[in-house]
Amino acid sequence: MSIDLNTNYGHVTITNDVIATVAGGAAVECYGIVGMASKNQLKDGIAEILRKENFSRGVIVRQEEESVHIDMYIIVSYGTKISEVAHNVQSQVKYTLNQTVGLSVDSVNIYIQGVRVAKDEE
Amino acid sequence: MTTRTLDGATFAQMVLSGAHHLTNNAKMIDALNVFPVPDGDTGTNMNLSMTSGANEVRNVQNDHVGEVAKSFAKGLLMGARGNSGVILSQLFRGFSKAVEDKQTITTADLAEAFDAGVKTAYKAVMKPVEGTILTVAKDSAEAAQKAAEDHEDIIDFMEDVLKHANASLKRTPELLPVLKEVGVVDSGGQGLVTIYEGFLANLKGEELPESAESTPSMDEMVNAEHHKLAQDFMDTSEIEFGYCTEFMVKFEDEKLQENPFDEDTFRNELSEIGDSLLVVSDDELVKVHVHAEHPGDAMNLGQRFGSLINMKIENMREQHTSIVGEQKKSQPKSQEKADYAIVTVAMGSGIKEMFESLGATVVIEGGQTMNPSTQDLTEAIQEAHAKNVILLPNNKNIIMAAEQAADLAEDNVTVVPTKTVPQGMSALLAFNPEVSIDDNSESMQEAASAVKTGQLTYAVRDTQIDGMDIEEGNFMGIKDGKISITHKEKLEAAKALLSDMIDEEEDEILTILQGEEATTEEVEALEAFLEENFEDLEVEVHKGNQPIYSFIFSVE
Repeated sequence: MSIDLNTNYGHVTITNDVIATVAGGAAVECYGIVGMASKNQLKDGIAEILRKENFSRGVIVRQEEESVHIDMYIIVSYGTKISEVAHNVQSQVKYTLNQTVGLSVDSVNIYIQGVRVAKDEE
Repeated sequence: MTTRTLDGATFAQMVLSGAHHLTNNAKMIDALNVFPVPDGDTGTNMNLSMTSGANEVRNVQNDHVGEVAKSFAKGLLMGARGNSGVILSQLFRGFSKAVEDKQTITTADLAEAFDAGVKTAYKAVMKPVEGTILTVAKDSAEAAQKAAEDHEDIIDFMEDVLKHANASLKRTPELLPVLKEVGVVDSGGQGLVTIYEGFLANLKGEELPESAESTPSMDEMVNAEHHKLAQDFMDTSEIEFGYCTEFMVKFEDEKLQENPFDEDTFRNELSEIGDSLLVVSDDELVKVHVHAEHPGDAMNLGQRFGSLINMKIENMREQHTSIVGEQKKSQPKSQEKADYAIVTVAMGSGIKEMFESLGATVVIEGGQTMNPSTQDLTEAIQEAHAKNVILLPNNKNIIMAAEQAADLAEDNVTVVPTKTVPQGMSALLAFNPEVSIDDNSESMQEAASAVKTGQLTYAVRDTQIDGMDIEEGNFMGIKDGKISITHKEKLEAAKALLSDMIDEEEDEILTILQGEEATTEEVEALEAFLEENFEDLEVEVHKGNQPIYSFIFSVE
């Protein structure tokens, strides 16, 4: 799957991988996120925190007709207001995609796959 | 007088004073907000978070610093809004943990608490961005360590911390490129400095001035406004208010007696005639920045209170046009013939677009049931207007007509006999404008023959082909022109065709052209099937919108 844009100069195709990477990159800079989780976590049984090159693993780009939806699987830091962190991620991802690939997404859905407690608080 | 210890009641007053000072400056901080999302709400968010923290503190009837700090942290957490609010809640969560057992605290305790706050805040983010509130908190916590060694007096200590927080804030544009680009300091950092100012003023027993000491300059706020605007407009025609208007009004007593000045009233009046509005006033002056369609109206409103000074008006449509460098409409075709052109045949709007994007000069809409005639092809060759034309029919039923059109044409026309869309695409990708038409013909044929094509369609009547019985409505998989699969279910037929086509050892790339009769769900089901059975294969999906064929597959 990919997103196609037409400009005055021709045709631009952006693959879903690119979108997922950009979205993942925007998310990990968001305050309160300590990792992206694999969407197959339920299968894997552990919320393994993804390394940088796998940002896109916890991001799913869905296209339905004309609209684009993004699902993100994230791990947040214990002791933050989770609802607000999720909201911040949504707005940052939406903005970043709009700015960098000129893509206006219809929804950014956040799945909190885990909460990580810092070592000294356990 | 020196204060060497801080009790809970004093700390509570400090918090309230910080919150109050932030409230007074929230609008200014909003105006600075360009990062991470320039939506101008940092000040509002921080203020809501801080107010929630202050409200918890008000309810504490306790002189124990640890208890007060704990309530403050709890209130911040509950009321956290926006990135800056969440960060603030973490800073003071760490802070309160460090002082939780303490009845009173010294400068050393405070330094340790600031440090603990920064550590906690940094732990809650995967990739801390420097040049933000985090940096300002970190730098001032570092300064606090040293300040605690130098001062036992809390006021002297806090003065040092504030001084370094301010210096750190001034450095934020060096760390975060977007700030430098726009010419502002970080809004969240500004918020934190404002809170620290409130702390210190309370310790000193000073009345707080309405605006922060470190008030962002009008220029900074204007820069941020323009940045936000630049994000919004793609097109000059979208600019509603065409003139960036800046001026100051120097108040005159006579006029003020007739028209008493009230900042909010004035702001509301201006907001009727423009946007990107900034109004800042003190006892002598009011500064105005507004984007208006009629700059004169804005100035007339201001002139009621005094005399106009430092006026500047810019036409933003002119500027924007020169920035965007708007395109003139397409040039008329030159009379010169090009060296090379490629004429090809496509069915479906998506496939036509793909061919155009791959560099085809003229794409004729044709296909299985509406094959272009020799006449259509001849016209297309003329339209291509080139000395050498390469013709890609992409369908075995069009090859004949293409050969005829090539014979009739005055130009040097060569047919590369591609039988399918994927073959045509591969041939087109192999085209090299630098070499002769004969060399091109050869390399393009070679590229076309390297592609395996699969097509999925349905039978319109009962028939027997290639030794298979096929019932009306059944789906057929056609591999390189031969029917190889038939099945009642579309997806099953598609999967069987794919399995038949793909050689796991050899093949690297599969391209799926989604026809107008194929749904997104079907495509996703195929992708999942491929992922499971051929995990090393790279899959690309394009909307071909071709009729008749739900899917066209190409494997290389």
